[in-house]
Formats: sequence, C-alpha cells, structure tokens
Amino acid sequence: MLFEVNGLCKRFGRIAALSDVSFQVRAGEVLGLIGPNGAGKSTLFECLGGVLPSDSGTMRSGGRPVGTRERPSLLFYVPDGIAPWPAQSVRWALDFTLGFFGGRPALRDEVIDQLDLRQLLGQPLGTLSKGQRKRALLAIGLLTPQPALLIDEPFEGLDLRQARDIAAALRAHAARGRTLFLSIHQIGDAARFCDRFVLLSGGRVCGEGTVQELATLAEVREGSRTYDDLEEVFLALT
Amino acid sequence: MRSAFLWLLDKEWRELLVSRAWWVLLLGMGPLAGASFIGAVSVYGEVSGLNGTSAGVGEALSPLVGVWAPTFSACELAAVFLLPFVAIRVVAGDRQSGALKLELQRGMSPFARIAAKAAILLAGWMVAMLPPLSAILLWRSYGGSIYPPELATLTLGHVLNAGLTIALAAAMASLTEHPSTAAILTLSFTIGTWIVSFFAAVQGGWWERAAGYTPAAMVAQFQHGLVRLDTVLIAPILTLTGLGFAAIWMRLGAAVSRRVYESTGLVLVAAAAIFVCTFCAVSWDTSESRSNSFPESDERALQQIKAPLLIVAHLAQEDPRRFDLEHHALSKLRRVMPKLKVQYVSATSIGLFEQTNPYYGEIWYYLGGRKTMSRVTTAEGVLEAIYSLAGVAPPPENDEAIFRGHPLAVAPTGAGAIFYGIWPCLIVAGGFFVRWRLK
Repeated sequence: MLFEVNGLCKRFGRIAALSDVSFQVRAGEVLGLIGPNGAGKSTLFECLGGVLPSDSGTMRSGGRPVGTRERPSLLFYVPDGIAPWPAQSVRWALDFTLGFFGGRPALRDEVIDQLDLRQLLGQPLGTLSKGQRKRALLAIGLLTPQPALLIDEPFEGLDLRQARDIAAALRAHAARGRTLFLSIHQIGDAARFCDRFVLLSGGRVCGEGTVQELATLAEVREGSRTYDDLEEVFLALT
Repeated sequence: MRSAFLWLLDKEWRELLVSRAWWVLLLGMGPLAGASFIGAVSVYGEVSGLNGTSAGVGEALSPLVGVWAPTFSACELAAVFLLPFVAIRVVAGDRQSGALKLELQRGMSPFARIAAKAAILLAGWMVAMLPPLSAILLWRSYGGSIYPPELATLTLGHVLNAGLTIALAAAMASLTEHPSTAAILTLSFTIGTWIVSFFAAVQGGWWERAAGYTPAAMVAQFQHGLVRLDTVLIAPILTLTGLGFAAIWMRLGAAVSRRVYESTGLVLVAAAAIFVCTFCAVSWDTSESRSNSFPESDERALQQIKAPLLIVAHLAQEDPRRFDLEHHALSKLRRVMPKLKVQYVSATSIGLFEQTNPYYGEIWYYLGGRKTMSRVTTAEGVLEAIYSLAGVAPPPENDEAIFRGHPLAVAPTGAGAIFYGIWPCLIVAGGFFVRWRLK
C-alpha cells in the first residue's frame, strides 16, 4: 500500500462536500475515482494535494502519519481546467517542471513524443486549445518525481484517438511503477483503463475495489441480480 | 544545478517581463519624470537669472528642492497609481491562472515564495526609476551641481516607498479572490493614509504623530534630505509585515482560522516593533543646504544646554504661524535637543476668534527654572529666546558656512527628446524584443 486516507471531511458552509472518506492507494496501480458531477472528486483531490484545507481526516503511509508538509514528497496533483503560466511557452513549462519540482530529465523527450507536444513546444500555454493544454498539463505531471500522480479528468477535452494515445502513455508510466490516481466521470473510460475504483457519490465513498469486488458488493446490497459492467455496478451502488 | 529558489526567481522575472502593467509603468515614467524635470529646470533657470531676470535672486538655490524633489515626484505618482497594478498582477496572476496550485506542491517556505516576487518587483521598480536617475546625468551635462548624499537619500526614500506599495499590494492580492478587488483595497488604503494626513492637519495630537509615518510624509522627509532612524526602521518593518501577510494568505492549503491567527500574531509583533522604533530619535541631515538643521555653530551651542527645555506655544492647529514655528525652528530644534517638550495651547483649531485673547500668539520658553516669552516664529527668534534664557552668548556668524546655492541659468536642452522620444521608443522596442525572446 502506498498510502491510505481515513475519515476525510470537508464542508463548504452547510454543504458537506466530503464525509468520512476513506480508501487505500496501492503502489503501482491505476486507481480510478469515479462519481457523478458534484460528487466531490475535485474537492477530494484538492484536499489530498494540499491546495484546499480539509476539516478533518488523516493520511498514512508506511504505517506513519503523513502531514501536509510531507505530502509534496508523496504525491503530485494535476488540477483540471487550469492554464498555468499562460504567457510562457510549453518548452519553458516543461523545463520549469524539471528544475523547480526536481523532475526526471531523462523522461522529457519520451513524454513530449508520447503526448504529441513536439509541434507545440514554442507556443504559449495560454494560446493552446483545451485538449492541447490538457496534454501539456499531463506532461508536467508525468515529469514530476513523486511516486503517486493524481490527475483530475485526464481525458477531458481529448478526442477518441488522443484519449487512447494518452491512455497508452499513462499505462506505460504505470507499468514502470508510477501510481496513478485518476478522477474520471466517464465510467466507460474508467472501466477500460483503471485497475481498481473508488466510487464517490454525495461526498461519500460508496465502494472500493476491482470491478469484480464492486459487483459482488452491489449484488449483496441489491439482491440476487448479477452485474456485468462497471456502469451497472455504479448505478447500483450510488 | 539551479536551486528551486533560483528557478522561482527566473519564473517571476519572466512573468514580470510579460506583464502589461509593468510596461505601462515603464512607458509612463519617461514622460512623467521628463515633464517634472523640464519644468523644474526651466523655473530653476529663470530664478537663476535666465532670460534677463534679476541675477542674485538665485543665491541659496538648492538643486535638491528646486530640481530633484520635483523630478522624483514622478516616482511618488507612479508608486501610488501604477506600481500597485504591477504587484497585484505578479502576485494574483498565479492564483488566477491556477499556477499557484501547482507551485504550492513544491515544498518551500511561503516566505521564500513571496520574497522571490518582492525581489523581482523591486528590480522592476529600479528599472522604472531609470528616467529620473538619468536626469541626474543630464543635469550634470548642463553643468549643474550634484551633491551625492542628498541624491542618495532621495533615491532611498522612493525605494522604501516602493517597498511599502509592493507589500501592501501583495497582501491585498493574496487576501482577495480577484485582482480588481485587490486593486480597490490597495487604493482605498492609500486614500486612507491621505485622510489620516488631513485629520492630522486639522486635529493634531495622535493623528499628527500617525501621519508622520504615512508613505507621503516619509517621502517628504527624504525629499528634504532628512534621514530619520525611526522612519528607516519602520518602513522595512511595515514592508515585511505586508509581505508576511501575503505569504500567510498564499497558503491555500492552510485552514482559514489558522491563517487568521498567524496574521493576528504578525500584526501584534509588527505593532510592538514599530512602537519601539518610534522612540529612536536619531536623524541625519544629508542636504547640502542643511535645510533641516541650524548652522553648525548654533547646534554646538545648543548641545551645551543640558537642562530640559519646555516650549508652550499659544497657537491654533491651523494657524500659519504654528506651521512656520514647526517647520523653520522646532523641527530643527528637536534634532539637536531630544529632551525638548513642546505643548500647543488653543481653544479652537483655526485660532481666528482667539486673536482678542491677550495670550494668543505667545510662545513661552521654560529652562532651568527661568522663563521668557516671544512672539517670533522664525529660527533666529527661537534661538535668541533660548540663548537669553540659558545665558549663552549666540555664536558669531560664519559667512563661510552660509549655503550660497548653485544657481544655474540653463534651459533643459535635449530633455524633451530623451524623455518624450527616446525613452518611449526604447520601451516599445524592448517590449517587442522580450516577446520574441520568450518564445
């Protein structure tokens, strides 16, 4: 197990965005965080990434608590929908990632080719399309050194071909031992790509495990009906 | 291999280079400083005898008062109306674009982060000060006199003022969600200091004391070549407090309650430090004309008087004679006699209807159990009263010590071309070059 989260809570006024969220992240896996819009996926990632304070909850790794100051050495969070350093070029952003975050220079060219960024290196980040910016953000995330990478909506803004290429690139990095924790609201994409899942709905964890394990859980809760795919399991459990 | 901090400095510098607000500041400083310099030199030349005005009127003309204070006033204008937007853009831009969410995940002290921004903003301000600083070279080329200590004091004052502006804008940018809100709060704060100065002029007392530490009052001291230790200490304390505030509120991952506690602690520590600094009464007069001081011989004579001196002046707050007394005599006297106590007695703030009161206008001096009264508000009159009370013979006048001034009857040749033409062209060319270079 790489790290586990216990009892994470976050309120925005009267709204409980996260309630007693607990789950485990295993080293080297591709873990999918799935849930409907407003389930609290981005809020969860922002709390784990240390850019939003949680009201309560703990993180543990190797049997020891992980404070907010130690989290940057354990995980890196790539938010969705941001356009960092909009006037700076993609080339500069990647170099900055390597220098400022202590990234992995040996991966630079590989990541550029995997994410088809070579033609975009000289362009300012603010001038990129949504899909191009997503690829640039993914490149930044893949170049960071932390063992776990949290990505909010990795396939958002990408067409089918690009999504498959990105998925292959992420898989290649996961195969080398990088732990990926991906927030995906398209169940079909998640089912094709992830090893295990955390189901989040209304700020609560409704289930955690592989498709098989979640299906068994759904069968227990809902009666004798069998579940064939993740979409049906998700609808049953949330 | 570069450290993370150097990478951050590089990033902040690049962000400044693409900041439109900064280029507007640079573009505006040329004409602002140029108009002030050209106007000041023209008037200085005329008073010095240019174009047939009476020669000899120009004696005791000081370039500090006649040329440099007006020229560098462009810096004060820019610091109030242009620099805040540059600082807000640099500090708030990361939060708006989402870059802050990435950068905060690099373990680094928040004070180091804000220090990088502040260092780059200060460097950007020094670039913006090139027009008024280049005016010094221009003045030299005309044959004008330059006294480096007073120029250094003037420059220091504007750099400290810029530091205060940067700190305030950074604090507001970190505290608020949107840059426009930060801009409104920053300008409101500045207007608030003007209100304090207004109340000081009307009410006096603690308002007057507080107004002495507003940015406008601080700059005014430096513009007259006066370096006060309390000001030199308090300005950096206020700057560090503002930057500390910005560092605390930049930490998005810290609970709001924690940030409030830390901010409160910071303000209390700063307030205590400022309170201690207000007791530092040491000052230095770096002006060539010694406009902030009595002649040296008089200062030596006054320093021999050890007994405490009390002056009670029956003058209202807004009476011009009170201003004359303070400005021409008492401000200089306080620098030489730190134990001096001054009390003002009046029933009204304007004094208009107190004129029939026989005591109104009297200035009483109490020293070593003796007292004397005078109605003279000039420096000479005050000194005469003190010497007579102390039983000290006034020192003989020293003609050599009298500041004769540096009249210069020249027109500001070429200044228009430099400040209105060459500087703006350089800035525009610089902007295009930077844009090309950053690709």
